[in-house]
Amino acid sequence: MARIGVFICHCGENIARSVDCPGLVDEAASWPGVVHSVDYKYLCSDPGQNLIKDAIREHNLTGIVVAACSPKMHEATFRRAASDAGINPYLCECANIREQCSWVHEEKEIASPKATDVVRMTVEKTKYNHPLEPIRVPLTRRALVVGGGIAGIQAALDIADGGHEVILVEREPSIGGHMSQLSETFPTLDCSQCILTPKMVEVVQHPNITLYAYSEVEAISGTVGDFKVTIKKKPRYVDADLCTACDDCAQACPVSVPNPFEMGLKVCKAIDIPFPQAVPAIYTLDADACLGLFPLACVRCREACEPGAINYDMKPENITEHVGAVVIATGFDLYAMSNLGEYGYDKYVDVVDGLFFERLLSASGPTAGVVQRPSDHKIPNEVVFIQCAGSREPERHKPYCSKICCMYTAKQAMLYQHKTPGGQAYVFYMDVRSGGRDYEEFYNKALDEGVIYIRGKVSRVYEEDGKIIVQGSDTIAGKQLEVKADMVVLASAMEPSRDTDKLVSMFKLNTTQDGWVKEVHPKLRPVESITQGFYIAGACQGPKDIPESVAQGSAAASKTLGLFSDDELERDPSIAKVNELTCIGCFSCEMVCPFSAIERNEIRDRDGNLIRTVAFVNESLCQGCGPCAAICPSKSIEIESITEEQVYAQIMAY
Amino acid sequence: MVRIGVFVCQCGKNIARTVKTSEVAEIASTWPGVVHTEDYKYLCSDPGQNLIKDAIKQHKLTGVVISACSPKMHEATFRKAVESAGINPFLCEIANIREQCSWVHDDISIGTPKAVDIIHMMVEKVRFNHPLESINVPVTKRALVVGGGVAGIQAALDIADGGCEVVLVERDPSIGGHMAQLSETFPTLDCSQCILTPKMTDVKHHPLIDLRTYSEVVEVEGFIGNFKVTIKQKPRYVVEELCIGCNDCVDACVFKKPKVPDEFNEGLGKRKPVYIPFPQAIPQVACIDPNTCIQLKTGKCKMTCASACPKECIDFEMTETFEEVEVGAIILATGFKLFDAKRIPNYHYGEFDNIYTSLEMERMVSASGPTEGRVLLKDGRTPESVAILHCVGSRDRKNNAWCSKVCCMYSLKLAHLIKHSTGADVFNFYIDIRAGGKSYEEFYDKVLEDNVQFIRGRAAKVVDWDLEPLEDGKVVVHAEDTLMGHRRRIPVDMVILSVGMEPHEDTAALSKIVNCSVSSEGWFLERHPKLAPINTMTDGIYIAGACQGPKDIPESVAQASAAAAKALALFSSDELTRDPTVATVNEINCIGCFSCERVCPFGAIERHEIRDRDGNLIRTVARVNEGLCQGCGPCAAICPSKCISIAGITEEQVYAQLGAV
Repeated sequence: MARIGVFICHCGENIARSVDCPGLVDEAASWPGVVHSVDYKYLCSDPGQNLIKDAIREHNLTGIVVAACSPKMHEATFRRAASDAGINPYLCECANIREQCSWVHEEKEIASPKATDVVRMTVEKTKYNHPLEPIRVPLTRRALVVGGGIAGIQAALDIADGGHEVILVEREPSIGGHMSQLSETFPTLDCSQCILTPKMVEVVQHPNITLYAYSEVEAISGTVGDFKVTIKKKPRYVDADLCTACDDCAQACPVSVPNPFEMGLKVCKAIDIPFPQAVPAIYTLDADACLGLFPLACVRCREACEPGAINYDMKPENITEHVGAVVIATGFDLYAMSNLGEYGYDKYVDVVDGLFFERLLSASGPTAGVVQRPSDHKIPNEVVFIQCAGSREPERHKPYCSKICCMYTAKQAMLYQHKTPGGQAYVFYMDVRSGGRDYEEFYNKALDEGVIYIRGKVSRVYEEDGKIIVQGSDTIAGKQLEVKADMVVLASAMEPSRDTDKLVSMFKLNTTQDGWVKEVHPKLRPVESITQGFYIAGACQGPKDIPESVAQGSAAASKTLGLFSDDELERDPSIAKVNELTCIGCFSCEMVCPFSAIERNEIRDRDGNLIRTVAFVNESLCQGCGPCAAICPSKSIEIESITEEQVYAQIMAY
Repeated sequence: MVRIGVFVCQCGKNIARTVKTSEVAEIASTWPGVVHTEDYKYLCSDPGQNLIKDAIKQHKLTGVVISACSPKMHEATFRKAVESAGINPFLCEIANIREQCSWVHDDISIGTPKAVDIIHMMVEKVRFNHPLESINVPVTKRALVVGGGVAGIQAALDIADGGCEVVLVERDPSIGGHMAQLSETFPTLDCSQCILTPKMTDVKHHPLIDLRTYSEVVEVEGFIGNFKVTIKQKPRYVVEELCIGCNDCVDACVFKKPKVPDEFNEGLGKRKPVYIPFPQAIPQVACIDPNTCIQLKTGKCKMTCASACPKECIDFEMTETFEEVEVGAIILATGFKLFDAKRIPNYHYGEFDNIYTSLEMERMVSASGPTEGRVLLKDGRTPESVAILHCVGSRDRKNNAWCSKVCCMYSLKLAHLIKHSTGADVFNFYIDIRAGGKSYEEFYDKVLEDNVQFIRGRAAKVVDWDLEPLEDGKVVVHAEDTLMGHRRRIPVDMVILSVGMEPHEDTAALSKIVNCSVSSEGWFLERHPKLAPINTMTDGIYIAGACQGPKDIPESVAQASAAAAKALALFSSDELTRDPTVATVNEINCIGCFSCERVCPFGAIERHEIRDRDGNLIRTVARVNEGLCQGCGPCAAICPSKCISIAGITEEQVYAQLGAV
């Protein structure tokens, strides 16, 4: 006979304001099987938990129902308390009378009876609960990091320093990401390459890190602790082991193409290295730019290569790796300039974006750090910076703030003025967002150095007498004004990097409306995704600056190290179970299972002849989601602790 | 006799373009002591390394100079190669002829002779190199976390989940920090307590976390992997192990009504001298305030609390205790304090009624606060108009020049909550709205749609004299509306001051105890804002949360996890290998002036007493703690008797280098 205890939480006033808690206690005491019911101000507090523990012992309870907040909040807390008091933790259930009741109803007359229903349903379910034991599965202590920008680099280094193997996958020929393209970084004006390249080198030299550059994740299967990942290595047509990065092949190559790393400001060869400090230092042949591989049109690079590293027959190669956790650090792209026609991008070549301007400012860039405008290579005397180009514009572009543009615009305006005697920078802005250590001070410095800030939006950009006229409103002066500029720099918005959506659906993660990878909880679990074993680092989660991305890369590593601190993984036992006696072997379950957890089990007689093939659940893959149980025509699949019996008992109690 | 080999790398064309490597190698071969020279396309490649190894064996080299890229890049590679060929790795030195030569010169006639000089200097240095052995120090796999706010809590949980022990020290009677005081959190409007208390409970129950509340760190000795920390336990006058948090003592206190301003409620509510800070406090243990308790002040109380206690755990004789713990890593997460609004007299905080700081307002709008979430004026009315003044004490060169980062968002949140609960007119006086962060801008848009008023301009003053009947009984906020271009007077019932963040008072004292730098503003300083945002200048000490500068909750949580990763990585091996290039003192020559002690930024100089056989003190000399020393050199430079030298960069070596130019 079930002996159920019911505990009602007031949650301060959160529940008690609209639910009659003492009335609910009396009501619950009258239900069959309920031998004890009590209410308390904060059940999650230590005295509250002690009250539950004492009651379990005193009344020999065989099941408890805690009517409080969502099980997401405190199920673990109360199950631990139940376990401390000597009963199986899975005999404790939470009835959510806060998020799903008191918070959404203001009137006691509505909330109280609803709370009664919610609690009674849970009581009926708990009567059919069975003790369960957590499933322990072995754990592969190796991590996959997707994306080799600064966040991915930091995550990989920290996991590797923690003593575990890391596989770092980067789709470009070199790691480094956007940070390697930047000139100097705000607010310290450190040279970006100088602070990044030592970390890049550390990655290739780390004995625990395997780097797959110019590679992409093709497929993933499995579950936390045991993922099987297929990585496609794209053909470089250059043997990585033989290439010495001597540049002879590029010297010999007859084809010049715009260099994407230099934002097209400089040319590179069809076979080339993205930038001198690239890691790994291996050349890559761009098959699309090459005069032709099939059939072979030119072999000058092969002839020039002394070590014989060029191999035109190289094919994409699929590699399978087993990992226990995945860190996603796929970063961002700039919102394409072609979307920003209103700022004259399609008409005037001297309207450029922030990343392009970074290359102009970079000492190692195509102009060796001299600011020259693209049209005629003249040094511009007036440069207009337009902030929020595409950001904070819910009607036409992105509704969000891209967070870093205020600071990099201040930096670019200042660097431009430093490098260009007599140069004048103008900044059109809405709000200057310089929140961060030494950021406000940096903005003040830009003001002190004579950068002119104009608060207002730009309404029109047009050309007149060889100048680009930027027309906008000055909301402080309360009038329209025009600035005659030689060059215009747009602080374009950030957006999730291309193919983030594909990766996200492959990994079964969530994104926000804008496509950023979503965390479980913005405050409490900012680097964990909704799928166990996947962690998030850097700007793939939303606009972030470098210090934040680095901190988050380390944080994702910390979660991975925590997961890897044990040999085995404890999993929730609420998973599907097949009754092999009644299974008809139709495998409808196999079709609907999103986690590929259904396997085929052959039942044979003693002579080894096949009698039947039935479904079988792989417990390390099953997430207990339920479609298999719903579709099974012979009703042979049930989810532990949410059995059909329990569901009907709940419905009947309503 | 030394036998030095010189290897010149072409680095593809990187070096060879502006340095004639073959010519350089030939010149080097003429120097005394150099028995082998060679140039090669890529010394860092496998064949390149093999070439070095073969030469060491064949020519019985006693020193190797690699002329190539910066030692930051490949020193480790080449030292490993040298070691595998059987000679001590510290006999291999790198001459940087790429970053410091070929890359910065276009002209081969300049690059080549400069490279010759650089290599020659290094050859002369290597002549005096000695074999060195790496220093191995054991690692205590236990971390100290200082501060039990959300950052400290997260760091402690992550380290404990990683399988290592944690000692968490909190100065207040409960963990939770500022986050425990907040009502709802932006931008999701999650109830702050609801999301924090599960973590607080986890701390309490984690088998690997040793929680010490109402405690302070008073002394730290030692170095990475081997710190000895002294923790002071302040007296609660209640035995923590016995107390069950039943509140009977509080009910029985001779104070029938609570009379003492309640810190947790920012003084908006009252508590008794014996109290539990808040219902969800962890640990759930009472504490007696010695400043207000009659027994502790006068010794003349009936002590009804003690007689009411069912566990007999009240002990008025309790005193401070000190305990030493050994830890391998320290995480500082001591948080922030709020700007004192009284420092801006124009706003009349503390003088006029109904002027509140933002944290007081958080308590007022909190469902568990003193007014149970109702926004009320002093006279019990509901306000019809509320002004929120942004940047109080922030972005103000007269007070704090920095932006406190969280105030825009919490002001928007308070505006939203007040608008919804009272329907009052809400006016925000701002300079810029800084809503950069995930879903922050969207939250700002939502508040704009709520019909909350935004006036761009810092409030100049708040006055209580009325000019017209409409202003009767109200306070008037004066500001320049920079968008309209004229001055405005807005009469309101209530003013909220969005006060900024400042370093906590303890930061300066703690920075001395743990020997970490602080910025000119008083925040803990990280080693590098981008590359090492979690590390301090002292190895083994990390920082998390707002003790480093203004941060919001998600940033503090992420940074705390990051600090945990650093500690876990440190704890992943039993021993720590340290670079042997540290200072050594010649004790015979040391005159005991301890100039070195003053200039050492790492506190690595110790005092060593030399005694005769009868135990009489002869002299006190300096001694270097190898665990702390980073080999940076000021001690060697300042020593008047020239008795400190850095292994691997001795004075002899430096002069040999200079002599070669």
